[in-house]
Amino acid sequence: MATIIGGIGSSHAPTIGVAYDRGQQNDPNWAPLFTGYEPARAWLDAIEPDIFLVVYNDHANNFFFDAWPTFALGVGAVHKQADEGWGKRPLPDLPGDPEFAMHLARSLVDDEFDPTICQDMAVDHGVLSFLPLLTDTDWKIPVVPLAVNVIQHPIPSAKRLWKLGKAIRHAVETFPSDKKIVVFGTGGLTHQLHGTQFGQKNEAWDNEFMDRLESDPEPLSNLSLQEYMERGGTEGVEMIMWLAMRAALGPTVKRIHRNYTAPFTTGYGLLALAS
Amino acid sequence: MDDVISGAYLFTGERSARSYRLNKMAKSFTDAANRERFKADEESYMETSGLSADEKNLVRRRDWKGMMDYGASIYLVIKIGGVTGHPLPVIGNHTAGRSI
Repeated sequence: MATIIGGIGSSHAPTIGVAYDRGQQNDPNWAPLFTGYEPARAWLDAIEPDIFLVVYNDHANNFFFDAWPTFALGVGAVHKQADEGWGKRPLPDLPGDPEFAMHLARSLVDDEFDPTICQDMAVDHGVLSFLPLLTDTDWKIPVVPLAVNVIQHPIPSAKRLWKLGKAIRHAVETFPSDKKIVVFGTGGLTHQLHGTQFGQKNEAWDNEFMDRLESDPEPLSNLSLQEYMERGGTEGVEMIMWLAMRAALGPTVKRIHRNYTAPFTTGYGLLALAS
Repeated sequence: MDDVISGAYLFTGERSARSYRLNKMAKSFTDAANRERFKADEESYMETSGLSADEKNLVRRRDWKGMMDYGASIYLVIKIGGVTGHPLPVIGNHTAGRSI
């Protein structure tokens, strides 16, 4: 059967993609982020994953509110890059893994998760902003994107994302293959994009969240969405997607690498865990 | 759950319904040809997009706070910002009532 060999928690942000494309890796504001990804990338290179399963959210770049799915699974052979409103980045389209993706679809539905099955789902910075920092951009490793609604309320609870992670684990363990899979939970960390607290982040909570996610994660799934948003902003609620990654890894993990930097208005976190 | 958390509106299905046309026009800017059409003739583009008089005024005035008060999603408002040359810090600070 297939196995989950590790997990990555990573912030996603359009600014990371812009900085990457502009070659700002050595810029004083950006260097701590880019160098912070290097040990995680070296680890991924060493463990040779066959598939990246990425729990992320679309930011109205593929989907729109005419039909906004709570969960959506990209099962196509190719995932195009979405134009977010300012042109596409110079990156090739991502390869998918239809066989694993359809197994995941069947298993999730059996486990009472019901993702919208997408044959042609473009991905945005939710997947593409950090990925070039962790793997070669000729995309040798296929990606299965699992989109979660964290934009239009009602959105699923932290507990629901925790259970999604468990269902992902069950799906991998029943996939008849020797594939090695790394699960990504993306988004956050704390940020507030509008309103009277625009630009506020919460570095203490970001670091507490990463501490607890590693050592004692399940209580984080008992926090309400209101608590997440009060601590980390209405957009910071994306953090709940890290819970799916962590639950997918099982009870015991080994931390490989951790990084945190917050030069601007978002807390950029990175956590690499071996299962 | 509260309707305003951390000083910001929750984007709910109700807000989504109210701001639907404005958000939909913003979504259209994910197509480069649409961006060019808008830049060439904003008034015509807004008319074709079915915006109401109030919605057109929000866009004409670049009233980012007004758009959020009206119910738009920040992720769509920044696409209007993109096509009109207003980056997120300008929009965010405007919604906060600050000038930069």
